[in-house]
Amino acid sequence: MTQDTARDEMVDGDGGVRAHWRALLGVLTGIGSDGLRIAGRRLERAFEDEGIFSVLPGTTAQDQPWRCDPVPMILPEQEFVALECGLAQRARLLEAVLADLAGPRRLLTEGLLPPALLFANPGFLRLNELPNTGNRLTCYAADLIRGSDGTWRVLADRVSTGGGISFARENRRILARVLPETFRAAPVRELRPFFDRWQDSLRRMAPHGGAVAVLTPGTRDRRWFEHMFLARELGSALVEGGDLTVRDGILFLKSLRGLQRVDVLVRRVDGRLLDPLELENSRRLGVAALLDAVRAGNLRIVNDPAAGVMEAPAFIGFLPTLAPRLLGEALIVPGVPSLWLGDPDALARTREGGENWYFRPAMNPAAAAILPAGMTSAERAELDRRIAEHPGQWVAIAPGAISVVPSLTGTGLEPKPVILRMFLIFDAGRWHAMPGGLARVLDDPARIPGGIPRGGMTKDVWVLSEEGANLVGPSALASAPLRLRRTAGDLPSRVADNLFWLGRHVERAERSARLVRAAVARLARGTTMLPREQMELVVLGHCLADAGVVPDDSITPANLGNLSRLLFAAVRPDGAIGEQFDTISRLTESVRDRLTGDMYATFTQAMRTAQLDIFSVADSLDGLAHAMVGILRFSTAVAGVAAENMVRGGGWIFLDLGRRIERAQAVTSEIGFALEQPAGRIETGLRLILELCDSVITYRNRYMDVLQPAPVLDLVLADPGNPRGLAFQLIAMHGLLDDLSGESGGREMLAGAAAGLLAEAEANVGFVLAAADQATAAGQIPQRLAALSAGLATLSDRITRRYFALLPAAQLVGADAGEPDWRGAA
Amino acid sequence: MRYRVYHETLFAYSDPVDLGSHMVHLGPRALAHQRVISASITAEPVPSRITVARDYFGNDVRWLFVDHPHDEFSVLLEAEVDVLFPPAPNAWSTPLWEIVAAAARRGDGASSAAAEFAFPSEMAPADPAVGAYAAISFPPGRPILDGLLDLTARINTEFAFRPGVTTIHTPVERVLAQRAGVCQDFTHLMIAGLRALGLPARYVSGYLRTRPPPGKVARRGADQSHAWVGCWLGPEHGWVDLDPTNNLIVSDEHLVLAWGRDYGDISPVRGVILGGGEHTATVSVTLEPMAGTAP
Repeated sequence: MTQDTARDEMVDGDGGVRAHWRALLGVLTGIGSDGLRIAGRRLERAFEDEGIFSVLPGTTAQDQPWRCDPVPMILPEQEFVALECGLAQRARLLEAVLADLAGPRRLLTEGLLPPALLFANPGFLRLNELPNTGNRLTCYAADLIRGSDGTWRVLADRVSTGGGISFARENRRILARVLPETFRAAPVRELRPFFDRWQDSLRRMAPHGGAVAVLTPGTRDRRWFEHMFLARELGSALVEGGDLTVRDGILFLKSLRGLQRVDVLVRRVDGRLLDPLELENSRRLGVAALLDAVRAGNLRIVNDPAAGVMEAPAFIGFLPTLAPRLLGEALIVPGVPSLWLGDPDALARTREGGENWYFRPAMNPAAAAILPAGMTSAERAELDRRIAEHPGQWVAIAPGAISVVPSLTGTGLEPKPVILRMFLIFDAGRWHAMPGGLARVLDDPARIPGGIPRGGMTKDVWVLSEEGANLVGPSALASAPLRLRRTAGDLPSRVADNLFWLGRHVERAERSARLVRAAVARLARGTTMLPREQMELVVLGHCLADAGVVPDDSITPANLGNLSRLLFAAVRPDGAIGEQFDTISRLTESVRDRLTGDMYATFTQAMRTAQLDIFSVADSLDGLAHAMVGILRFSTAVAGVAAENMVRGGGWIFLDLGRRIERAQAVTSEIGFALEQPAGRIETGLRLILELCDSVITYRNRYMDVLQPAPVLDLVLADPGNPRGLAFQLIAMHGLLDDLSGESGGREMLAGAAAGLLAEAEANVGFVLAAADQATAAGQIPQRLAALSAGLATLSDRITRRYFALLPAAQLVGADAGEPDWRGAA
Repeated sequence: MRYRVYHETLFAYSDPVDLGSHMVHLGPRALAHQRVISASITAEPVPSRITVARDYFGNDVRWLFVDHPHDEFSVLLEAEVDVLFPPAPNAWSTPLWEIVAAAARRGDGASSAAAEFAFPSEMAPADPAVGAYAAISFPPGRPILDGLLDLTARINTEFAFRPGVTTIHTPVERVLAQRAGVCQDFTHLMIAGLRALGLPARYVSGYLRTRPPPGKVARRGADQSHAWVGCWLGPEHGWVDLDPTNNLIVSDEHLVLAWGRDYGDISPVRGVILGGGEHTATVSVTLEPMAGTAP
């Protein structure tokens, strides 16, 4: 075993602080170790608030939170420039290898690459050659470590969906907010110009002036956060496979305005899953005929769908031989010493000892490299067996001692080994590196992770500008003057759909809370409950069943005693209200790219508080009442933040529309239940209606204490000024639908349908007012309201069909669908 | 021998399909010993867009796109093809199988194109039991073609041809265990076995001439798709096709459509549809020898 002492990035061999660290170290010393610990906690808190990696209840739980160390990793300018130059060469080499593998395959015929690297590589796509429209690679990321000799070496090349760049950007953004004083210590190069350049270069790639979009697997993917931020940084639409369709060799985004052309797709989906017609069965993530659009020259996919083959760790060991053959150059930034064990000589070398070999799967870029020294003897035997069985599936690497950077731990600053990920893009004929990166602190030196881990400590990476010069971004891309727009017709239909349902579910939660609160107020009276209150409880039971809080028909006058038990069940995590919050969480997450950071934080904080309350009800009526207040606060917070922060374009329209429809349906059915009384007891129902519609005070101000059917119904059905009444919802819906039809050239008269329902509501009031006996007339209202309710449901369906359901779901036919008929039986 | 072939695939849907995209491997492959006189592939409804290309393996592939609602989709191949494959070399003159396997493993020079077919694929995966079954035919030092003919004959005699006991998703190890299946199963089994020994083997799809029972007239549409194994004899002799279902060396009664690593690479018709509900598929194949056209 070679003696190898890790290099310290901050301190040189004689114990002196390296020049590029001095200024920062001065500032850190000034902050002090207590100050740093506080800063560390504030950073953690900031990331939690941002919800980096969805931390919403009901979505994926993370074992470890995302953390950013207050102490960055520093690269002096000349070192960055040298790395940029070396990584640019590596990117050129990978491009050349890809071109050879897709075409002449000289590397195979000349025996420079063993066939297994291609043919046993699951990342290899057997595509006929796609048209050559420029580089196969236009973005590239590399994982680097620095050895004790001071040389940076590449641990992994990332060319498929290369993640982490948005995390780098987020680390910088939040560190600058929480610890601005550290940035005054040194001229740190900005990251923004790099993203501007990337955005411009993607726009220039669009051959027909169509949109640039970022393709994500969706909110269920653990990197969704990163995709959302990337789309935001690049000023592009964030889309999923289901948002896209290919027609006549052209890719389109299904938006409210109709089909919008997409020319460039920045894929964050594995190349193998892009097109279910030609590749793997991936109809949920991919788009049928996507590759046809590429072949037709109508679409650029960044990076090339087939680029992932180069991520197999087995390639690293061969690149030093391939560089002279393909580029006529020696590698500037070498890879870590790496042996592909499919070669019997290489396998023998790893058994000689003398080197600390880590073992990693040869074809899986996401798997960790593991040092057997840390294993139990059983684990070691299992590894040896697996390697002996399929040696070609394994690689041995010798990273040596990895350089260390001071990092904040529970006991102060400690030197910790660090992996640096750098990011490059190809633009205007050459590769450009982002002046920064993502550094990850290695917790367990015996295990080097493959992909970006889910949690753990990361660092911002600073590139110090030598003269404080060149902090300016590239000049803006010359483009035609934009047509002014005040609408958001480009909203993907899926997003509009999710916003609509978010509005509905938030309103539904509020309705549940109001009903539960009303029921609890009566239940709390226990045995002293009046007969009138018992009757009210029966009506509330019907309303609660209608809202889905308790099972249908579970409440009758005879079994009112069951109600508390049913309500307690509803607020358990698997109960109706608990599940409502799961749905709201999921929908909020899925529209997150349409919400500002502040809005998202408000949503999630209010939601978390409300959830804590409902999960700690502990079967007490007081707890239940308290929890309902939390839900109402949450709902109010959503309404307030939407009203004050969302531009009244497509997104807001659908959120509000969902809310209005839901409330209109609730009011209609609750009034119906309340009036299903014998004529003599109609007053009880009227009183309950005013309570449920939050209109008691208004009524008293208008009519004193005299309860009569027509004035009550006027206030809750026809008064346009009552925000809890039906007319208000219908008028709002009319306005929203009218705006929408202006945006999307609406063919259907949806706004007219809302106006028709309003007239129906007014007619109901007129009917009772004109009746000789109002109480008897009111008894007929439930039946008439049922018709109105059906009209509302029809309108909701029409909105769904008109704006959301542009295409039905895809399915596969042919062999993969498992047709026994397909077997030739000769 | 000259043949005329009709191969029609018909999908019927319970609900209208709004958008249908199909990838078809139906064009007979032009080869040194297979001349395609004419071949036409037509679809109903008429596709709004057709893309024609060679796939990764050099087969004819086309993509057919129908972008208006339809309840049925059919695709028809009509072709005339001359076939006469040369006789296989004398088995005893072919190289030892170990030498062929070593050439494939190196995969350089003239062996580089064949090397790919020595690797496992999804429908012909590496399976130890299947490998052990094939290994019986390849004792050390046996000439490659001698071993291949032995394996072909063994599969033919030791496996029962029994339609309906397998589907396209039945794994080869189950076919081995039940000793029964149809042509695809035997083909995948033989390919998987050869690859376990490091020998390149590929899946060939096409048609086989069938003869009506004595005294009967051939019925149209009663023929079927067929599959067999392309075997590599080393860089000098190249490929020879063997049919384990019928224990034949392919000569003038087989017509080649396409080849790949396994069925999945070259399934005749594969599609993604939007809508459609339930669907049924019907296939009819007719292979007619054309009289008086001995080449």
